Amino acid sequence: MRLKLDSRAPVYIQVIQYFKEQIASGSLDMGEEIPSRRELASELKINPNTVQRAYKEMEEAGLIYTDGNMPSKITKDEHVIKNVRESLLNEAIQNFITSVHTLNIPLEELIPLIKKNYEKGLQDRGESHDRSKRYT
Amino acid sequence: MKNFFKLLNFELNRFMKLFIILLVTIAVIQIIGTIILARSYMMQANQAVLQGGMSQQEFIDMYSPFSMIHVIYSLWFMGPIAIGVAALMFYVFFIWYRDWFARNTFIYRLLMLPTSRMNIFFSKATTIMLTVLAMVAYQVILLNIEKTIVKWLVPKVYRQDLRVVDLTVGSEYLSKVLPQGIVEFLIAYGLGLGFIVVIFTVILFERSYRIKGIIFGLLYAFIAFVLFVLPLSLQLFGCIYLYPMETLIVQIVMWIIIVGASLILSRYLLKNKVTV
Amino acid sequence: MNHMIEVKDIHKSFGRKKVLKGVSFTAQKGEITCLIGVNGVGKTTVMNAIMNLTPMNRGEILIDGEKINKRSYEKITFIPDTITMLPTMRIQDAFEFMNDYYNSWNQERAEELLNFFRLQKSDRIAELSKGNKAKANLLLGLALDVDYVLMDEPFSGIDIFSREQIANVFTSHLIEDRGVIITTHEITDIEHLIDKVVLLDNGIVVKEFNAEEVREEQGKSIVDVMREVFRI
Repeated sequence: MRLKLDSRAPVYIQVIQYFKEQIASGSLDMGEEIPSRRELASELKINPNTVQRAYKEMEEAGLIYTDGNMPSKITKDEHVIKNVRESLLNEAIQNFITSVHTLNIPLEELIPLIKKNYEKGLQDRGESHDRSKRYT
Repeated sequence: MKNFFKLLNFELNRFMKLFIILLVTIAVIQIIGTIILARSYMMQANQAVLQGGMSQQEFIDMYSPFSMIHVIYSLWFMGPIAIGVAALMFYVFFIWYRDWFARNTFIYRLLMLPTSRMNIFFSKATTIMLTVLAMVAYQVILLNIEKTIVKWLVPKVYRQDLRVVDLTVGSEYLSKVLPQGIVEFLIAYGLGLGFIVVIFTVILFERSYRIKGIIFGLLYAFIAFVLFVLPLSLQLFGCIYLYPMETLIVQIVMWIIIVGASLILSRYLLKNKVTV
Repeated sequence: MNHMIEVKDIHKSFGRKKVLKGVSFTAQKGEITCLIGVNGVGKTTVMNAIMNLTPMNRGEILIDGEKINKRSYEKITFIPDTITMLPTMRIQDAFEFMNDYYNSWNQERAEELLNFFRLQKSDRIAELSKGNKAKANLLLGLALDVDYVLMDEPFSGIDIFSREQIANVFTSHLIEDRGVIITTHEITDIEHLIDKVVLLDNGIVVKEFNAEEVREEQGKSIVDVMREVFRI
């Protein structure tokens, strides 16, 4: 697990963001075990207190759950996962719209351009569509 | 208490190498000296008697028989002792300063041990005292060895055999170091211990206040000295008159005061003022 | 009971030179507190003061609410920027020494650290490279089951791989829930490990802050704050 950390943003938020992305993309499965607080701190070279906070917030948000003394797991609730996916998506889209706003391009022109760039991106990475269809 | 013994053992081990070198050096020089002195006497005797035509008795009357006295008053004997004394004096300081300097900052560890810091003081003082005692005992053994060597090299007729006891009386120096009785022993070593304790206090002053510390320390040593010789000097100047027993008692009280004050001061400095 | 180290208004002069002019801060157990400042500002002096290795002219230092005493050394350990063992000793001898005097010495932990740092018991301290000496030093401090670990410039003059190894210690169970105070002027290896930053300048604490808080509330990194405060 590699995370490039921004020194200016709170680390715990970056950890939560990272988990959200992993959940949304399906890299982390429903019910999959996540590393312990100390394991993750060690891997990412961050303070265990920070991981603690991130896990606490994720648990409160329902992204993870802990059964007694067992290691924490990703939620099995499809609903939650769908929401995460959607919120990340909306965030990304908002960012995109904001940055493209100034160029004043109408939507009809925008959509083919998006399609073109998206497909090219997939080609470059050698992936297929199928994986993303999993959660629709 | 346990920590004191651990530290004592530790300090003794650290000194061991230097100590053994010292002992060997002293032995070698003294023994070589004994041999040389004995043989040169015999050479002189043989030359006078066999070639010069003197009779043995004449020679003996003129030059007096050979005995350990010849050895003791020679440089071959006194030299190594001076070396030993110098080495010990040096070590009184070195035993502290080495823990601060010479790529050795062991003082950090000593000061961070979960034990009273006075154990450091006591273990160092005891190390010195024990090594002094060991050296004295060693010198007695050496004297006996040297006596035997003399017996081998010098025929009985030319020899005067003296007991070690008689020798010590004969030598002003030896009589102080190898005391005659228990009282003299306690006095000599009590003085030595007092001396070490005061010097250690001066060292701790320096380690606490640096240059100001040397001044404080020397001042303290001076006061201690004056206080200690007070009973004797007062008598010297005719201010007071005391019987020997009374003098002894007063001196002991002085000693107790000085050593006590030094220990209290040292404890305060070690606990609160000393710096790495 | 407060589980922290409290440094209260400490002053220290060396001769006529006033080095610490009223330094105050706290370091909590379970947190990594970092003292940052330029060379010579007095970071080492503060650490020495906490450990009673040098006296203060004024001020007070409390460890879990108590002034330091001989028992404190089973609760708090200091890893200074110099070796605390005789150079002639082998690591094995150092272990025996520590085991002899400290109840809090954890032989298992020591062996673990030995492997972690890839050192041998038969290594003679004087013959170790600078990086290995630093690691040996760290080892002796970390193998004690103490609540607080103080490290003075653990990364100074160390090669990058040894630095990584040392940084790894901070996230491992070897630090556990201990309180750590570390001084450094090089934070790149540990920027995301630090809980609290204490900036020293001109003999006082010019700023004391929680790294994550500043990131969250002001969007600034530790280095950003340093630049502001030291006006670089």
